[in-house]
Amino acid sequence: MSNGLGNRSILLKLFKFFLSLRTAIWLLMALLSLLFYGSVVMPLNPEFQSLNSVALFQWMAVNSFGITWWLWAAIGFISLLTANTLLCSAESILKKKSARQWMLVISPQVAHIGFLFILLAHLLSGYSGFRGTAFVYENSGLRLPNGNDIVLRKIDVDMDRMGYIKDWSADVEYFKEGRSLRSDRIRPNSPSFQEGLGIYIKDVRPMPYPAAMIEVSREPGAVWALIGGLLFMAGMIMLLLFKIKKEEIAQPSALSGQLSGEKALSDAKQAKK
Amino acid sequence: MHIPPVFIAILSAALYVFGYYRMPFVYGGFLLQVAYMVLRGTELGRLPLVGPHDTLFFLSTSFMLFAIPASFSLKNRERFLNPAIALTVCFILFSMLAKPHSFPLPPVLKTFWFETHVAFSFFSYALFGLAAVLGALYLIDREADTEHLQYKIILVGYFLFSTAMIFGGIWAYYAWGTYWLWTPKELWTVILWLFYSLYLHARLRQWWLGRPAALLGILGFGIVLFTYLGVSLLMKSSHAF
Repeated sequence: MSNGLGNRSILLKLFKFFLSLRTAIWLLMALLSLLFYGSVVMPLNPEFQSLNSVALFQWMAVNSFGITWWLWAAIGFISLLTANTLLCSAESILKKKSARQWMLVISPQVAHIGFLFILLAHLLSGYSGFRGTAFVYENSGLRLPNGNDIVLRKIDVDMDRMGYIKDWSADVEYFKEGRSLRSDRIRPNSPSFQEGLGIYIKDVRPMPYPAAMIEVSREPGAVWALIGGLLFMAGMIMLLLFKIKKEEIAQPSALSGQLSGEKALSDAKQAKK
Repeated sequence: MHIPPVFIAILSAALYVFGYYRMPFVYGGFLLQVAYMVLRGTELGRLPLVGPHDTLFFLSTSFMLFAIPASFSLKNRERFLNPAIALTVCFILFSMLAKPHSFPLPPVLKTFWFETHVAFSFFSYALFGLAAVLGALYLIDREADTEHLQYKIILVGYFLFSTAMIFGGIWAYYAWGTYWLWTPKELWTVILWLFYSLYLHARLRQWWLGRPAALLGILGFGIVLFTYLGVSLLMKSSHAF
């Protein structure tokens, strides 16, 4: 019986811990410290040079814990922050569901959901993303990870009078078991997509024989990141519109009240001394 | 029409300095900066937002773009505008140290997503800079209006910075096949975003109101400067100058 009560008390404490704004602040501080550490060690360790060419978890699995510990710790803190965000958002919506300014209550939560979607995107891409790069000559092909083939039909390079390369593009054709599927054109900022894979033209070499640097990429989190980004922006726009409007009406006196409250508190502390 | 950048920079800085005596000179300095960027943009056929000269000049213009309207919400406009002018003049002078980048852009930078990503980033940097000015003013005279304006400016800056990050992600996905790269610049961008997230959440607690929030606003601009200049100059990244 007492054991059951003890478990319940621990659960309650845990629940309160995750419901606290103070927890969010401490978690953000911990994350900031870890990322600061990461930004310092990244340029110093050659292992990090391959981090952008493979999926994050794959990279972390093959590198030593001494190199990757801050990333593991950051993932741990992000997981805690996710739980904190979910619980705080749910509590805020439930507590204030009868509030008059519903849009003002819901707007930070929309931004929070957007943030969580972006985290989900990173999780998906970090788990099963793929990136590969190859130099491909004109009229030669490349085997894609999904078993299809891609052939670079024609590479166009546009140069100005000074010899600067202004633009480039390439015509590509997809094949499945020797059968042509479709043709497309790729250029900078305009990749071609085929069955979840993105085909990018990164660079070209017109001489001695036209060739292009092709990147094949799979980002399973891209759609979620876009949804998350849009939700975050929508939440922030709502927050700006409703909060600033509301604070223009109510805040000056309220803030003065809070600040005078702070002053009163410090006066009381002084008097106590 | 080719106007030497040094001439424009010196003239606008001089007008701002005269602005300490008469407010119309400040408007004149700002209009001259805008005119210079319009002329340079027309000449280049794009937004002048590549390289340290253009970005520093754009940032200095952005300071005044937001400082002038923000000053109207304060009882004593000059108290806020004077340090904002000093900040603007400093960045104009820094921009003069760098040679303008007038070469054609690489194809990967010729996109709406790049231009909006950079423009929104610098708008937010300017707002964070003004928030630091307000934070310093609050520490001197403890006026609640000053701290409240700092909060509002940071909120708008945070929105613009978040939008810049999202647009940067969309651009990176179309350009490089990924919306995220592990480089020091990206990490510092996240550090900056998390820092202002921390500010906005901390300010909801009574303890952080007033002096601690003002200090966070000042510290934030230090992180902005390192993210913009420090990382680009000292660390290897996709955003190197």
